[in-house]
Amino acid sequence: MAQESFLTDDFLGQLISVGEVDILVGVPTHNNAKTVGPIVETIQAGILKFFPRERAAIINADGGSRDGTPQLVESAAIGDAQSRSRQYALRTLRSITTEYASSPASGTALRTILAAAELLRAKACAVISPESTQITTDWLAALLRPAYADTFDLVLPTYRRHKFDGVLLTNLLYPMTRALYGLKIREPYALEYAFSGRLGSQFLAQNAWSEETARAGSEIQLTLASVTGDFRIGQTFLGTKKHVERRSADLVLAMRQTVGALFSSMGQNFSVWSGKTGSQPVPTTGTEQEFSLEPLRVNRKRLREMFSAGVAELASVFQSILSAPTLAELQRIAGLDEASFCYSGELWVKTVYEFAAAYHKSVISRDHIIQALAPLFRGRAFTFLTENRNGTAASVENNIEGLCVEFERMKPYLLKIWNGGE
Amino acid sequence: MWEMIVSELTQAMQELARGFAHILPRIIVVVIMALVGWVAAYLLKVIVRSILRLIKFDKLSENAGASQLLTKAALPSATDLVCRFVFWVAWLGFILLGVQALGIVGLQEQIAKFFLFLPRLFAALLILFFGLLGATFLSRAALLAAVNANFPSPRLLSVSVRTIIIIFVLSMAFEEVGVAEQTVVVAFGIAFGAIMLGLAIAFGTGGKELAQQFLERKVLHGRKDEAKEDELSPL
Amino acid sequence: MPINQDEPWYKHAIIYQVHVRTFNDSNGDGIGDFRGLDEKLDYLSDLGINTIWLMPFFPSPLRDDGYDIADYYSVHSSYGTLEDFKKFLVSAHQRQIKVIIEMVLNHTSDQHPWFQESRSSQDNPRRDWYVWRNTDTGYAEARIIFLDSEMSNWAWDTVSKSYYWHRFFNHQPDLNYDNPAVRDEMWNVMKFWLELGVDGFRLDAVPYLVEREGTNCENLPETHAIIKELRRKLDEQFPGRMLLAEANQWPADLRPYFGDGDEFHMAFHFPLMPRMFMGVKLEDRKPITEILRQTPEIPASCQWCLFLRNHDELTLEMVNDVERAYMNDSYAQDKAMRLNLGIRRRLAPLLDNDRRRIELMNGMLMSLPGTPSIYYGDEIGMGDNINLGDRNGVRTPMQWSGGWNGGFSSADPEKLYAPLIQDPVYGSPAVNVLSQKRTQHSLLNWMARLIAVRKTAGAFGSGSIEFLYPGNQRILTYVRELGDQKILVVNNLSNAAQAVELDLRKYKGNILIEMFGRNIFPRVGDLPYLLTLGPYQFYWFRLRRI
Repeated sequence: MAQESFLTDDFLGQLISVGEVDILVGVPTHNNAKTVGPIVETIQAGILKFFPRERAAIINADGGSRDGTPQLVESAAIGDAQSRSRQYALRTLRSITTEYASSPASGTALRTILAAAELLRAKACAVISPESTQITTDWLAALLRPAYADTFDLVLPTYRRHKFDGVLLTNLLYPMTRALYGLKIREPYALEYAFSGRLGSQFLAQNAWSEETARAGSEIQLTLASVTGDFRIGQTFLGTKKHVERRSADLVLAMRQTVGALFSSMGQNFSVWSGKTGSQPVPTTGTEQEFSLEPLRVNRKRLREMFSAGVAELASVFQSILSAPTLAELQRIAGLDEASFCYSGELWVKTVYEFAAAYHKSVISRDHIIQALAPLFRGRAFTFLTENRNGTAASVENNIEGLCVEFERMKPYLLKIWNGGE
Repeated sequence: MWEMIVSELTQAMQELARGFAHILPRIIVVVIMALVGWVAAYLLKVIVRSILRLIKFDKLSENAGASQLLTKAALPSATDLVCRFVFWVAWLGFILLGVQALGIVGLQEQIAKFFLFLPRLFAALLILFFGLLGATFLSRAALLAAVNANFPSPRLLSVSVRTIIIIFVLSMAFEEVGVAEQTVVVAFGIAFGAIMLGLAIAFGTGGKELAQQFLERKVLHGRKDEAKEDELSPL
Repeated sequence: MPINQDEPWYKHAIIYQVHVRTFNDSNGDGIGDFRGLDEKLDYLSDLGINTIWLMPFFPSPLRDDGYDIADYYSVHSSYGTLEDFKKFLVSAHQRQIKVIIEMVLNHTSDQHPWFQESRSSQDNPRRDWYVWRNTDTGYAEARIIFLDSEMSNWAWDTVSKSYYWHRFFNHQPDLNYDNPAVRDEMWNVMKFWLELGVDGFRLDAVPYLVEREGTNCENLPETHAIIKELRRKLDEQFPGRMLLAEANQWPADLRPYFGDGDEFHMAFHFPLMPRMFMGVKLEDRKPITEILRQTPEIPASCQWCLFLRNHDELTLEMVNDVERAYMNDSYAQDKAMRLNLGIRRRLAPLLDNDRRRIELMNGMLMSLPGTPSIYYGDEIGMGDNINLGDRNGVRTPMQWSGGWNGGFSSADPEKLYAPLIQDPVYGSPAVNVLSQKRTQHSLLNWMARLIAVRKTAGAFGSGSIEFLYPGNQRILTYVRELGDQKILVVNNLSNAAQAVELDLRKYKGNILIEMFGRNIFPRVGDLPYLLTLGPYQFYWFRLRRI
């Protein structure tokens, strides 16, 4: 019986004893013992500070940690919070732990949190990454307040990032999501976000829980579900995002989770994105996205080399994916030297769109398509880093904006090659 | 004496005629079977063709890389090939059934052997097909992984992976069909062993330093910062 | 949307039965009227009512509370004008409230011009509109319905010196349905009101339309033929309107009134109602489960109408002698409460003003299969006055506040059409809408909540029902199912706390979500499901699989 449902009896029992909450904070974990303790303490302190009268619970959805992460979460949630923050807790502090599987799957973790939010009838629910060590109590307020006050259904974060941090985000995920769905969402693949109970129930009810989404990419699915449904999306400024936080420095892994999820969602949601033109700004509280300009050492040369090597070695693969002119152009710039190398925005947009179309048609295995995009992305990253090497925050923002406009401008091209065409 | 020859001849002719008359119905049976078989085989071909169209067999075989091979050998498309193959095998089968009716002893045994052989042939072809599919997929996966990990000469790696798998698959197919079983197995064993040995030697002598660095990194955590500096976080 | 919009509206109706005379007086003459009713539509809308059933408001000598009609095409002057009625209808429709009116087909008042003409001479063109005989021996097998006031179904007319047939009071002569002119004219009457916009009719006393020698003159095939004809015309000219049958019969005899979906849309489930009261007194589910088991399947487009009380006595016709004796002893020890084989009391007095029992009965009303009908005043727990004669004790003015005339009228109390209830328990200062609106857990607010929760699940209106039979027979429990909606209802019929183990293996893996508070209860496993209930408590659980 427990096999039929992904909710265990023990988990349900904990939900029954909690009863009903106004605020739920979900923390999906897997072997995060090093970082999770202080994060949970901060969450608890944030709840006590900003939502002192509300019924709140922390839910830890664990993917088979072996390092005692769940126990750390529980003791941090209930034990020390009060003494550390010196806040008086009006109500009983509640914390729920469940092991949703013996190996991590972010989709199932999210689904567990959604089920808890629905059964506990939470008005607002936030999901916090166990790796966000720079979290402050203000983050809780910034994320949860708009959802709790029923201003927005989905609250996505914006950060102060280093201008070179998150190049995949600024050069692909952000512009493409913006061009497709007509919304200027800076962080479509967010690790902390909040949503209303209404959106949560709707998303839970969708039968989109395939094998693929169970493993990865469910965050972007949630974003897309609220875009395609009738939900209000807002952004809120959280603070600085340190650039060595994430474990997924591995490009291919990151691309699989984000670009792969984005491409595959395009197929299902064709009717939604095909009709949109241009893009609307998303209401944002707090300051807008900013860039910090501290110097950061990056090995750009290696990027260009990997690009050229990729273009050379993967010619046979690219032939199935790219159009002849695009491939020819790529091969041309691969031959240029470092000084004159330029992977223009237009060429990049064309590349990405052709890859998206190829992904849709499954010309070769979809996972291979994503992997093949990686070396090309490196080339683009090189150009981006070079162009903005000495740029101010404003100029970087301008360049990104220019790229976004380019994505939007070439959308008809995407539509053309989507079903037929090349 | 002339009468004796004539009567002998007549007798012989009569015998021949009798024998002929005896066998004639059977020959007619064979002919009928052949005709029926032709019709049946044609129907079967049509059915198989629609099934293959439905599952987009051509696309599959393109993925497998089989199509390229076929065009190089100036053969028709994969679907066509399979349909024709099915047609001929079916028709041959019917004819042989008919021939069986003739009752020629030695032939019956061979025919039986033929029918027994068919499933193995089919299995061998399946192995070949899926093997080719797998080879293409794995070789491409190897290529992409190598390119993204910045390995030297990724294409060499990809081609070797593909070759090894194809050789492996071919040997399996041949063994299944029963053609030169022992030879193929042994030849494969020798070739595979040689390649592995060669790689080991190459790695051992040429990759000594690389191996050393790898171990150092794993055990001593020394290189972490440098690696981090090289690779920026994409998200 | 929990309720399927493709289904007929009456499957999800919440009916409020009210007499315009009793509800609200707008012009100070002591009698409720249509303008007053119009003013109170917001109250009904807030309660969650979406259908009003109006008692007869036609011109009438009022010797049977308006069921003796003297003019089918008009409104009794005490209640207003036809214009007032039309305005009221528009207001109701604006609030998404449908209106069903009474149509008394079987008989008219003896003051009706038709009868006046019919009795005037044997040669009058309308002579044949009624049933005339020279002797009173015809149709001897037909029973007398108003046993306490009539001795025979024939009455002697001094004017035409002959007997006329009447199944009810002697001043209510039966129309002769063998006469095509009668049938045509009655259709014209219905058509008149349908064209004004009424959404349906409650057809009073249908079993008695046609009489034949050698039968009991009830439920005859000819009667059904007439109904089929009416329905046919209705569907042709006014699709979407509804016919509700008042036919106090055993379930098997009620079944023909649905025909093949070509007669009535709805019919009252008379036999169930007394058994609900019986079940609560006996503290045993047997009367209820048995009658529902015996209830035949009805066509998919048809619907039962359930009720706890109405303007008539709580009829005990459709129970056997043992049951009738039990009901009288339990609920009507004072013989004055008994009338015509029934008990003429309101809901709250019948249940000893026990709030828990009242809630339980309403919970069952809302969760058993059928469309519920609430009698006006029962939503605040009004009392009755059996000393008012006939069934008028349950038809006293609506109590809106604790003030002048209970807020019903500005007239002098002596002018009211009937006196207000005045005792300290049920009188207007104690029981009224205004004070209940201000009290969070008043019966009124509870009823509104009950109706709201019922509306969240279409399974209540049009779902199937399957009874569970746990060992504890004081627990009445069933599952209502529609599509993948499953609702488990558990009722404690007893005065004491109970524990019950339910066999829910069929629903294994489902989480129970209690529908009023929406808290989750443990998931169904392999073991029997243990529930505990307080006195007269009931649960509604939604079964949810995640």
